[in-house]
Amino acid sequence: MRIRNLLVALCSAAICVAAVSSSFAQSDAEFAKANQLYSQGDYKQAIDNYLKLVRTGEWSPALFYDLGNAYFRAKDFGRAVLNYKRALALDRHHPESAANLRIARDETRALEMQPSWLTRHLQFVSLNQCSIAAAAAFWAGIFCIAGLVFARRRSTGAIMLSTLSFAFLAVALFAAYKIDNESKGLGIVTGKDVTARLATADNASTVLVLPAGSEIKILSIRGDWTYAALPNDQRGWIRSKDAESVRL
Amino acid sequence: MSIYAIRIHVFIVVAAIVASCGIGQAFADSPSITAVLSNSEAAVGETIELQIRATGGRTADAPEQIEMDGLEIRRTGTSQHFEMNNFNITSSVVYTYTILPLKAGTFKIPPQTIHIAGKSLTTPELALHVVDSSGSTARSNPGTADQPQRTAAGKLVFAELIVPKKSAFVGEMVPVQIRLGFDPRSRPRLIDGPEIAGQGFTAQKLQQSGERIETIDGRTYTVVSFKTAIAAARAGKFEIGPVKARVQVAVPRKSNSQSKRRSPFDLFDQDDPFSDPFFADPFGQMNERREVEMKSEAISFEVKPLPPKAPAQFSGAVGSFTMTNDVKPTSLQVGDPITVTSTIIGRGNFDRVNAPILEDERGWHKYPPSSKFKQDDDVGISGSKNFETVISPNEKKQAVPPFVFAYFDPAKENYITLRSDAVPVTVEGGNLPPPSVAAASALPNSSTPARALTPAAPVENKPADILYQLTEQGRPRSFTPLYAQPIFWATQIVPLIALLGFCGWKIRQSRIGNRDAQRVAALQNEEVDLLRKLRRADVSPREYYAEASRIVRVKTALASGSRRIDPNSVDIETAATAFELDKETRERLQRLFERSDELQYSGRQNGTETISGENRRDIMDLIENLRA
Repeated sequence: MRIRNLLVALCSAAICVAAVSSSFAQSDAEFAKANQLYSQGDYKQAIDNYLKLVRTGEWSPALFYDLGNAYFRAKDFGRAVLNYKRALALDRHHPESAANLRIARDETRALEMQPSWLTRHLQFVSLNQCSIAAAAAFWAGIFCIAGLVFARRRSTGAIMLSTLSFAFLAVALFAAYKIDNESKGLGIVTGKDVTARLATADNASTVLVLPAGSEIKILSIRGDWTYAALPNDQRGWIRSKDAESVRL
Repeated sequence: MSIYAIRIHVFIVVAAIVASCGIGQAFADSPSITAVLSNSEAAVGETIELQIRATGGRTADAPEQIEMDGLEIRRTGTSQHFEMNNFNITSSVVYTYTILPLKAGTFKIPPQTIHIAGKSLTTPELALHVVDSSGSTARSNPGTADQPQRTAAGKLVFAELIVPKKSAFVGEMVPVQIRLGFDPRSRPRLIDGPEIAGQGFTAQKLQQSGERIETIDGRTYTVVSFKTAIAAARAGKFEIGPVKARVQVAVPRKSNSQSKRRSPFDLFDQDDPFSDPFFADPFGQMNERREVEMKSEAISFEVKPLPPKAPAQFSGAVGSFTMTNDVKPTSLQVGDPITVTSTIIGRGNFDRVNAPILEDERGWHKYPPSSKFKQDDDVGISGSKNFETVISPNEKKQAVPPFVFAYFDPAKENYITLRSDAVPVTVEGGNLPPPSVAAASALPNSSTPARALTPAAPVENKPADILYQLTEQGRPRSFTPLYAQPIFWATQIVPLIALLGFCGWKIRQSRIGNRDAQRVAALQNEEVDLLRKLRRADVSPREYYAEASRIVRVKTALASGSRRIDPNSVDIETAATAFELDKETRERLQRLFERSDELQYSGRQNGTETISGENRRDIMDLIENLRA
C-alpha cells in the first residue's frame, strides 16, 4: 500500500514537471518566433506574438525589452517607452532597456517626472531588497529581545543589537514605502501629444501637452478619464486610452 | 402740618390740574390735521417717512396702512404731544408711517380721512418722486425722521477710491488704494466688501494696508486703507469703481421722548448726529445698528493698447524687469541635465511673466520649467520670479545659449528684450556637428531673437539606434512587490518556528532548573529535621538508628548532585563512593546500617534498651564528617 502511494506521488510530480517544462518550451518557441519576425522586419506580427506571451503572464525583462524594440521600429515610441519601463520595473538594472529607453525618449521628447530627492538617493536599492532587509532586521530584533527576556543577565551587546535591528527595520520600511510610492501608479502616455486638461471634458482648459512616452502618475480614474500628476508638478485629466500603467 | 391739612392741599392741586385741563380743552383750537413727507424724492428701496399730525384731540382714528401701487406704506409709530402756550394747552397725535418705494415714478399719496374729536378731517394729497436706486445721489435736502438718520449715517462713513494714474497700457499693473472712513463713535463693523465694481480689468486680491485716525473737514474718522492692483484686459475707456462696501454702524434711535422735546421734522441738528443725547448715554442704550452701503465715486480710466511688433519671446509681461541667470553644472556628458536658474526681478504683472526662452534650442532637450514667485509688496506687483529649466545636450556643446525674456515697459512705451550671456560648458561624449553657415549665424552672441532666425539647415547627426534583441527570455518575474507576494509571508514561518522553538527550549530549561532546586531544598530540610531528632535524648534505639541511617542516605543524595540519586536506593557502597570514605569510616558506616536494619527487622526494637552517650557521639561524629 505504502509503495503504491509513493508511486502515485512520484507520477504526479513527474507529470507536473513535464507540464511546466512543456509550457516553458512552448513559451521559448513563441519568443523565438517573435524574435525571428522582428529580424525579418515584420514588426507588427512580432508585436502580436510578443503580446501573446505577455498575456500568458510569464513576464520577463527580456520579453518587454524586445517588445519595446518592436514598437520602436514600428515608430510607436510611446509604447516603446512603456515596455522599456516595464522591463526596468522587473529588473531595474537591465542595461539594454535603460539604453533604449533613453533613445526612445529622445525621439519623442518625452517628459519625465522629477523623482524626489530621497528617491534619487535610493537608486541603488530595490523595493524587494528593502523588503528582505526589513524582514531580516525584524527577526534579528525579535530574537535579540527573546534572548534578553530569557537571559539571567541583561547583555549590553544584545540590547545594542536589538536597537540597531529595529533602527535598520525602520529605515528599510521607510525606504520601501518611498520606493513603492514612487513607482505605484506610474504610467506612460502612449498617445501622441496628449492634452492634459483641467476637467473631464474635451473643451476644458489645457494644462499641458504631453508627448508620447511622457511619464505620469495615475491618481484616479473616472470613466474614460484619468486624473494624473504630470511632469513639472502639475495635475490634469487625460483620456484613459492615451496612457497605460507600467505595472501590470 | 397735620394729615388733614396735607389732604386738603393735595385736593386743591388735583382740582387745579383737572380744572386747567378742562379750561385747556375749553380753550383749545378746533381740530386740524397736517401730513408731511420727510422727503419728496427718494430712490427705490430707500425708506422715507410720512407724519400725520392731528391736533385738537387725544385720540384719532388713523389707518394702519395705506394701500398704494408701487409704495408700501405702514404705520410704524404713534406719539402724543401736549403744548402749553399762554395757559392754552394743545394736544396732538402724531402718526408715523414708513414708506418703502418699490418702483420708480411719481406717486400721489391719496388724502386720508382721520376722525378726531368727533370730526372727520382729510389730509392733503402728497406727491412723492421715486427714482431708480442708481440715481439716488441726486437726492438732497434732508428732511425729517428717517432721512436725517440716513444722512447722518452717510456722514458717519465714507468710501474713497484712489487711482494714481488715469491711463495705462493693457496688462499694466496699476496700484489702487481704497480708503474707508468711519466715525469712531458709530462703532462700525464691516459686513461685506470692499469691492471694486467695473468690467474690463482684473484686480489683485485686496490687502488691508493700515488703519489710522484722520481729521477731515473738522471731523475725526478712523480710516482703513486697502491696497490692490488692477490690470486692464483690453484697450478702451473704462470706469473703475465705484468701490462698494456694506457696513453696520450705530445711529441714534428715534424715541418718543425725543419727539416730545423736538419737532418731528428736526430730530437732530443736521450737522452732527452725535449731538443727540443718545451719545451722552454711556451705555448706548438708545442706539440702533443699521446697515449702510458705502459707495465711492467711479473713476474714468483710459487703457491704451500695446504697440504692435512685439518680440517673438513676448508673453504678455508688462512692467520693468531685470534678469539673472545661473547654469549648473558646467562640465557634463552628452545627455546629462543642466539646471538653468533664471530670476526675473522687478515690478509688473508677474502672472504673465513666463520662463525665459532658450535662444537656440537646436541640439538641446528642454524640459518644462518650474517657477516660484516671491513678492516684495502686499499686492504682488513687485518681487522676483524664479524659474528652473532643465536642459540636456543631445550632442557635444561648447556653451549654453542665451536665455531671452521680453517684456513691455510702460514707462518707456516700448518692448525690451533681456538676453543672458552664453555660458561656456564642457560637454563630452559626443561629436560636434559639422559647422555650417546657418549654424554659425545662430551663435550665442547673435543679437537676433532665436525665433527670428532663419531656420538652420538640418544637421547631419545620425540618431542613435536602439540595441539588439535579446534571445533568452529569462525566468518569469512579477510586477507585484515581494512584500505583497504570499511566498514572502510564507517564508516568515521559518523564523517564526525557530523563535517559538527557542522560546520553548528556554522555558523547559527554566522549569528543569526549578525542579532540581526544589528537590535539593527538600533533602536539605529533611537533613536538618533528622539531625534535630538525633540530638534528642528520648529517642528509642530503633528510631535513632533508623534516622541516623536516613541522614546518611539524604546526605549521599545531596552529594550526588546532578546524578540525582534517590535517597531510598542509597546503600553502603553508594555512600562510600559519594563521600570517598576510608576503610575505617566505611566499616563504621556499615555497622550503622547493619544496626539500623537489625533494630528495624528483629524483634528487639520494643525493649527498654537505650543508647549510650558514647555511641551517640560516635554516630554524630560519623554523620557530621560525611562531606563530599
